[in-house]
Parts: sequence; structure tokens; C-alpha cells
Amino acid sequence: MSSDVRFTDFKSDKQPTWCPGCGDFGTMNGMMKALANTGNDPDNTFVVAGIGCSGKIGTYMHSYALHGVHGRALPVGAGVKMARPDIEVMVAGGDGDGYSIGSGHFIHAVRRNVDMSYVVMDNRIYGLTKGQASPTSRSDFETSTTPEGPKQPPVNPLALALASGATFIAQSFASDAMRHTEIVEAAIEHDGFGFVNVFSPCVTFNDVDTYDYFRDTLVDLQEEGHDPNDYDDAKDVILDSDKEYQGVIYQDDESVPYGQHQNLGANMSEIPDGAPEDAMDLVREFY
Amino acid sequence: MPADLNWAIGGEAGDGIDSTGKIFAQALARAGRQVFTSKDFASRIRGGYTAYKIRTSVEDVQSVVDRLDILVALTQRTIDENVDEMHDGSAIIYDGERSWDAELPDEATGVDVPLKSLAEEAGGAIMRNVVALGAACEITGFDVAYLDEALEKRFGGKGSQIVENNKEAARLGRDHVREEYDLDHLGYDLETTDEDYVLLNGNEAIGMGAIAAGCRFYAGYPITPATSIMEYLTGRVDDYGGHVVQAEDELSAINMALGAARGGARSMTATSGAGIDLMTETFGLVATSETPLVIADVQRSGPSTGMPTKQEQGDLNMLLYGGHGEVPRFVVAPTSITECFWKTIEAFNLAEKYQTPVFLVSDLATSVTEQTFPPEAFEMDDVEIDRGKIVAEDDVEEWLDEEGRFRAHAATDDGVSPRALPGTLDGAHMSTGLEHDELGRRTEDTDVRVQQVDKRNRKVETAKAEEDWDYREFGDPDADDLVISWGSNEGALIEALDLLEERDISVRVLSVPYLFPRPDLTEDVEAADNVIVVECNATGQFADVIEHDTLTRVKRINKYTGIRFKADELADDIEAELSTEVPA
Repeated sequence: MSSDVRFTDFKSDKQPTWCPGCGDFGTMNGMMKALANTGNDPDNTFVVAGIGCSGKIGTYMHSYALHGVHGRALPVGAGVKMARPDIEVMVAGGDGDGYSIGSGHFIHAVRRNVDMSYVVMDNRIYGLTKGQASPTSRSDFETSTTPEGPKQPPVNPLALALASGATFIAQSFASDAMRHTEIVEAAIEHDGFGFVNVFSPCVTFNDVDTYDYFRDTLVDLQEEGHDPNDYDDAKDVILDSDKEYQGVIYQDDESVPYGQHQNLGANMSEIPDGAPEDAMDLVREFY
Repeated sequence: MPADLNWAIGGEAGDGIDSTGKIFAQALARAGRQVFTSKDFASRIRGGYTAYKIRTSVEDVQSVVDRLDILVALTQRTIDENVDEMHDGSAIIYDGERSWDAELPDEATGVDVPLKSLAEEAGGAIMRNVVALGAACEITGFDVAYLDEALEKRFGGKGSQIVENNKEAARLGRDHVREEYDLDHLGYDLETTDEDYVLLNGNEAIGMGAIAAGCRFYAGYPITPATSIMEYLTGRVDDYGGHVVQAEDELSAINMALGAARGGARSMTATSGAGIDLMTETFGLVATSETPLVIADVQRSGPSTGMPTKQEQGDLNMLLYGGHGEVPRFVVAPTSITECFWKTIEAFNLAEKYQTPVFLVSDLATSVTEQTFPPEAFEMDDVEIDRGKIVAEDDVEEWLDEEGRFRAHAATDDGVSPRALPGTLDGAHMSTGLEHDELGRRTEDTDVRVQQVDKRNRKVETAKAEEDWDYREFGDPDADDLVISWGSNEGALIEALDLLEERDISVRVLSVPYLFPRPDLTEDVEAADNVIVVECNATGQFADVIEHDTLTRVKRINKYTGIRFKADELADDIEAELSTEVPA
């Protein structure tokens, strides 16, 4: 593995088909930079993507990658990491993939605390299917399938993560390239499940949660002197529905990742070319 | 006297029926006797009736029969459930001091043993089942000393005093019968041999086969009757650097297993039909991403929740055809417990050689049946591992395109592409459930679409040509009549052959372990006067397949009561079918 990896090494030669101006460009650039800045290269990195606009990311990045089934990216990532502790695993998804069809897996991935990062491109809309409400859409957000708004409160993914026993919760904004990259880097370097919810505006179908909206309202927690190790402060930030925050909101410095308490260290791809030497002992157990 | 003895213990769920039965089965195996066990869960009457049944002989036993010789009845219901199988020589061990008044069938001999009192004398009422085992030993002329090793195995972890108390309990049971009864007229005198047998069930054989094959990762969600595969691997696969993870559901389990396989691990999941329903979502992705994965289906009675603790072979159509689009796959159904071991190893080799999902199909009956085998039946030196086209770092270059990109889905002559595991320099690539080009990048180009579909299907054609997809054959090879079976009916069929021979009926039996690809039976079917397909389902799913393959109508024997075939019943059914008209 070379030590002079540049973030463009993580870029494939496929041109993204995201709409011009889509937040996912910035989100992906930050992910690539963060991977390079943390000493990874494409041959030791595995990216898992789900379905939706966000799911296209595996095509536009260059690394080992699997573009899977809608909502199931997190279990795939967990499987890769358990089998290959030597590989850096990053899972990418969207608000539909992660908080709707995949919400069951999200909760359990958080509490399982496998050492990998999870970057969610949250645009509060279903973009790929041309503009229906997502689980993070506002309750009065009018769409083709919710003409009067969903009339149900949006999912608070950060609260869901906290309630599930998260050890790292962060939020970033695709347009703030430097902060977004730093935050994803912190998620990668966290010993455990590093979760980043990224405000990644959809310029085509969401005229409410726009770049301007986030620029005007976003509060940067690090500028505010927020201490991410303080659980109660983190809880207050997460439950504050009046503001939008970016930064590392919560980090448990004593996080013990899954692989550590399960003693996973072996590269499981390496096996002998016959049965294990002492395998007849397994048969003799049945005497 | 028949060569075999049929013994059972029955009571309420929670009475320790299974563990008591297993102690007796292990004792018989230690004495060099062959054993075939079965379990009865709740059936005709509602409630918690459960029974553990043992058929034992010094010869091969591979089936249950409709005859019960010795019954340990902890409840009246146990007697009522089994009354049809009793005969003049049957003995029923029961505790006359208990509150129920045993109503015994006229033909059976009652052996009243104060199980609870004697157990208390030995150290605790909890040992009453072991007192019954001692009584059973005396009735069958079987030395209680054979129980000792099994008692040590079962109770050794609880301290030597507990073990000694149990040994004493067994001897008190024996002595009571010896002193109070003269049962020589029943004529039971269990012979012993110097053979040294191991005793295991089908799920244990699958688990052991997985470790032998180098499986390092298992993700699953508990479901009857597949869970014991997961329980077997837990703790054991860790000794080889592997891991078992309990996922939040089957959707997650198969995706975790898929992820581990993408990482290069030999990886599997196991479930039952209801779980296959959920896993079908990801099944197509496994195939199009060309990921080697073994998915075991331990079938139970469906549809929906069906009868979760009952036998059925009802998933065949789903395994052959399930999933949207056209999904290349292998479907392998071991026909015996030893075959569960060997076919599991083969499934891992097939999966990696052809980078294709493999369904490994078993069923409830096989999963709970414990059977004796000589340990050489699982000779680990004979295990062969074939990992297919994993590309070494030095060879990556020959699979790069002119721009240096790895062709993970290269359309090769045999359909199998090179496989670069993560960490391999210059091997980075994406795989996807979308149709893709050789590099794994999404495409809707018509030529590339056809190239990739053909390439995936070509792997199956290559496998058809290169692998042995044979059937197992029993009975008279020259017989005019042909019986075909798949999966676990083989043992009962082999024993039915002996019973038919006594009636001067000879048939040829083909037991088919490969369901896709499968052997071509056209010539065999065309040459036969009668063709009868035997399976545990209502509609004859395999019979349909045979008719489709051979363009010939076949007769069907279907059982869907939830109970596996018994040898004597199968002999009667085959004899009856031989005289029916061939369907139009």
C-alpha cells in the first residue's frame, strides 16, 4: 500500500449522474478525502452502498465495493469487517435506505458497534423516484404522495442512534467541505461504529431544506465549545428541534468495538487446503 | 424376535425427555449397537406431549417403524399416543405411585417402578428418568454399566457426586425390576459388539462439515429446526478463527454472510422455509454479484408458520425457482446424515468454484434424528478444498483492462471470472445487483446485458459438464419398477426394500441428492414399467420436475401429515402403487 494516496485515487472514471448541484457531490468528495487523510487506499477499502441516489456512490468511487439491496448495506458492511478486520469499511446510504427500509438494521448496527463508518446522505426526500416524502421529511412537506404533507413527525436519526447505544454520532453539511471531511475522518478513526448524518440538499425535489436554509441555520458545535464526551449535552443537542447542528455530537471514548470483545482479528479469507489438522476431534466429540 | 428393538420415553415438555433419551442412545452406541432416533412433538391431543424414540440393532438402522417394544411413560397421554404401536411383547414402565392411574393396553406388560421414590433414595427426585433407564436396561438384558459413560458426559459438569447419584439411580431402577418382576418371557436380550460408534444428527453433521470445509463465518437468525446448526458452530468455529453472529433478522443474516463472503471468507447462513422467504430478497444479488455463499434450508412444514416442529419437503419449488428474474444457482439435498457432512463440504466448493449461491437442503426429520456411524464415515483426511479462481497478487495484472481496471466479471469461456479479495493490490472493483459490465459498472447496453446473463448461466453449464451430478442407487438394478426419491427419505426406502423383498417384490431405487443441476433420468424412467416418486409434500413437486425432464407421467407417493416416512408404511405404499394405473 502506498503512503502517498491522494483523494482522487478513490475516484472512478465514471461521471456521476446526480443532478448538477446535488449535495451528494460534496458528501462524496469529503468521504474520499477523509479516507485518504486517514491513510487508506482503494485496495484496502471496502465501500458498501444501498439503493437510491446515495447508492450510486459505489460506482463513482474507486475501491472494493458492493452495491447491494435496498436498506441492507449495514449488514453487508458488518460482514465484511468481521471477516476482514484488516480492511477499512465504509457504508454509504440515504435517508430512505437507512431510516425507512433499513431502519431495523440501523438500530442493530449502532448497538453492535462494529468498527466501521456509516455516512448517510440525508436530503429529506426520495430523489431517485422523483420526489416522495422520506422518513426525515417535515410533517407539512407536500409531495406527490403526500399532497398535504406526511402529517407525521420526521424520524430523528440522531436520537434513534443515541437510544440504540451509539458510541459516535455526528452531523455534517455537504457544502461545508472542510468541516464535513474532518467529521467523516473522526468517524473513520473512531473505535467502533462512526455514524455521520450529512445534510445533502436535493436541488431538484426539495425546496425547503435547501443550501440556503442550512447555511442560515446551521450551528457548528465545535465553535460553540460543545464537549462530545458529555452524554447529557449530546442528548440536549439531539433533542433540540429548533436548530440544525453540525459537528461531532457524541463520542464515547471508552467504546469497545465488536471485533475487540469478540476477539476477531483473523483474516477469515485464509484457510487450509484441507480439513483443519485436528478435525477428527470434532468427530470424536460425538462418542 | 425381530433384530431391532424400539424404545421410547415420553412425557410433558420440560420433563427432560430429550436428554434422557439421548443418554440411552449414547449408552447403546457405547455398547456397539446402531441407533436411529426420532422425536415426537405435540400431535393428536393439544398440550406439551413430547417423546424421544430409539430404534436400535446390531445391524444398520436408518428408519423408524410402527412398532414399539419398550415405553417409558411419564404420563397417561404417553401411553395413549403410542397405543397403536404396542404388541404382545411390549412393556410399559410407569410409576404407580404417581397421582395418575395408568390405563394400560391389554396386550402390553406393565412394569410399575416407583421412579420418584427410588430417585429420592439415590439423592433427588429429579433423577426419576434415570431410574427408568435402569429399569429399561433390566428388561432388555442390557448392562446398566453402559449408561455410566453417557451419564458422565451429561452430568460431569455438575460434579462427581451428581454423576454418582445418577449411576446409583439407574442401579436402583434395575434392582427393582430384577426383584419384583420376571420378564424373561418378553425375550429381550440386547446383544453388544466391539464397534465404536459416534452419534450425531443432521444439523451437527452440517455444522461439522462447514468447519471441515473451512467455513469461517456464519450469520443467522434463530428458527426451528435450523438453529442447532448455529448452536453447533458457536464456540467451535471460533477455535479456527471464525465467528458466528446472531443477526436481527434473516434479511440481515444473509447480507452479513454475503459481506463476509465478499471479504473472502467461506461463509454461510442457515434457516427454514420462512426464513428463505426473507432471504430471497438478497438471493439475486448474491448471484449477480457472483458471490460464493452457502444457504442451508432445513425445511419444516409450511406454508406461512405452518407446523414449525413438523417434517415436510415443501420448499423444493421455491429453492429451484425462487426470486425475481432468472437466478443461476445450485440446489443440493443430502440424503442421509453422513451426506449432510459431505454435501456441505461440496456446497462450499461449488460456491467458490462457480461464484454462485448454493442452497443446501435438509429437513426437520434429518435435523433431529440422531444416528450412529463409525467415525471413519467422517474421515477428515478425505476432505478436499477447491477455492476456484481466487487471483494471487502476482496474477492480477493479466486480468486488468487496458486502463488498468480489474475485470471482476470478465466474460470468460467457462463463465467463471477471476476473484480478487479485498486487500489485493490493483484488484479494487465494485460488484452490484444492477446489470453491469465486466468491471462491475452499471450498464443497460443490450450487448453487455446479454454477455453477462450468458456468462452467469455458462457457469452452470460448465458445472454440469465438470461435476458429478449422479444419483445414489439401491435395490435391484434390473428391476422393472423404479422408485425415485430426494432428500431424507433414503433411509426409510432402503429398509422398505428389505420388507418388499420378503414379499417377492423387487424395485430399483434412485435417491437424488442433486436437484439443480440434477441427473438426467430420462432413460431410467423410460425403461421402467412403473415410476413412483416419493416425497414429503402434498403436490409432488419433485414428481413434477421428473415429468418435466422426462416427458413421462409418474406415480406419486406423498406424505404431508408432518411425520416422516416409516419403512413399513413405505413398503405398503409402494406395493399398492405398483398395481394402480399409470396417470394419463
